[in-house]
Amino acid sequence: MIRIRFFFVLIAALVQLACAEKAADEGDLLLVTTTSVRDSGLLGALLPVFEEQTGVRAQVIAVGSGAALRMGSDANADVLLTHAPEGEEKLVASGAAVSRSPIMENYFVIAGPPEDPAGVRSATSPADAMRRIAAASARFVSRGDDSGTHRREIALMKEAGLDPDARWPGFLSSGAGMGQSLQIAGEKRAYVLSDIGTFLAFQKRIELEALSQPGPSLRNVYSVLRVDPARLAPERAERAKQFEAFMLAAETQQMIAEFGRERFGRPLFRPLHLEPQPAP
Amino acid sequence: MSPPSIGLLIEITARTLAVCLPALVIALAIGLPIGIAIGGRRFKGRVPLVSLVNTGMGAPPVVVGLLVYFALERNGPFGELSWLYSPQAMILAQVVIALPLVVGITLAAVGALDEDWDLQVRTLGVPKRWRLWLLLREIRLGLLAAVITALGGILSEVGAVMAVGGNLEGETRVLTTAILMYTQMGELEIALGLAAILVGLMLVLAGLLTAVQQSGRS
Repeated sequence: MIRIRFFFVLIAALVQLACAEKAADEGDLLLVTTTSVRDSGLLGALLPVFEEQTGVRAQVIAVGSGAALRMGSDANADVLLTHAPEGEEKLVASGAAVSRSPIMENYFVIAGPPEDPAGVRSATSPADAMRRIAAASARFVSRGDDSGTHRREIALMKEAGLDPDARWPGFLSSGAGMGQSLQIAGEKRAYVLSDIGTFLAFQKRIELEALSQPGPSLRNVYSVLRVDPARLAPERAERAKQFEAFMLAAETQQMIAEFGRERFGRPLFRPLHLEPQPAP
Repeated sequence: MSPPSIGLLIEITARTLAVCLPALVIALAIGLPIGIAIGGRRFKGRVPLVSLVNTGMGAPPVVVGLLVYFALERNGPFGELSWLYSPQAMILAQVVIALPLVVGITLAAVGALDEDWDLQVRTLGVPKRWRLWLLLREIRLGLLAAVITALGGILSEVGAVMAVGGNLEGETRVLTTAILMYTQMGELEIALGLAAILVGLMLVLAGLLTAVQQSGRS
């Protein structure tokens, strides 16, 4: 046993030696976010400004919201940027996170092939669209990965009076990230629920169209959650606070409002703390 | 999120084998003859060919996956097959990954034979069809190394099968993609359980093959 320990320590020491350079400036702030935020490229635009203003370098880890929340509850992250309101509120209620601050929003779309075999275009609501897809046994790619988007699929199915565990012949569960799920839907000519940002990024490639109209049940709010400071090193808790303040600052909110115009011809997110509110 | 049932674990494991074993058989069927042909001859262009094989042995599976993806996507050259995000695509990608491994190790095994071996066999007047049999017997250790390496390579591979299979539940979800998925979902205990199955599977298969490899020794 002691010998095994010795070898482990030896290997760990060698690994640490190999990464000496990195370890020195490692992890000023560990930001855990969802794949949809990463894939949109928003952080790439914001974080350099954050670093410039505060000198804090954020390390970004992108996972599904389920995993992000778990990393928060295990204090394996300093700060979270997620879009799963119910899970976020539970995390705050449990005391593992303090202060859930809604930062920005966009909306989900139900995308599908332009032929629209299930008639989603003429659906009266997103829930009605889900009902039509299920009734037509149309192909539908579910994230199936406990992400914020997957949770929204389930909420829509419940709203439509469907059993969330229901499977119809065209139902596919990808267990993959948003980008890959969109690609699968494009390849299989299937319907898929996606956040608008990732959808716009992939739209050209997959040849699917956004068929749903924005509605309250497709609203998608992103919030910053600070992990319980008592479970973090004091300087990390302080940086998490700085990040939260940065995301709420008018200047940052303005950048969020502008983000995406260049590449997609329209903003991807609507900031929630910018006065007066620009028309969406 | 409820943990996957035993039935689901068996299903994922069965699909893993249903993808990997055919891929292995196809790679062997194509790779062994090529390896023996290249290994046993001297011809012009052999060196570039062998270095091509050696490069293939180190080809990153995720790159193979990407290339297979482009070949199979709807607007790609083989889009009409509709193979993308199906087990066929996964088998194809794994054959491409395993083939250079099989060819490379086989030709190394043939090349490692005593230079006079062929001459000896010829002088003994062994008929041609028996010569091949003798050759296979002679290099069987190398052949089994090829089988084990190729199997290990494709059984543990995740990048390519994720790219071309898509991890679709009940269709293309195999052990490695399921492990990755549950890890990213934060379901670390389930991921660990699947990982144990994968390692156990490799242990059993490698054990069986090693038993075969060593059985002929005296």
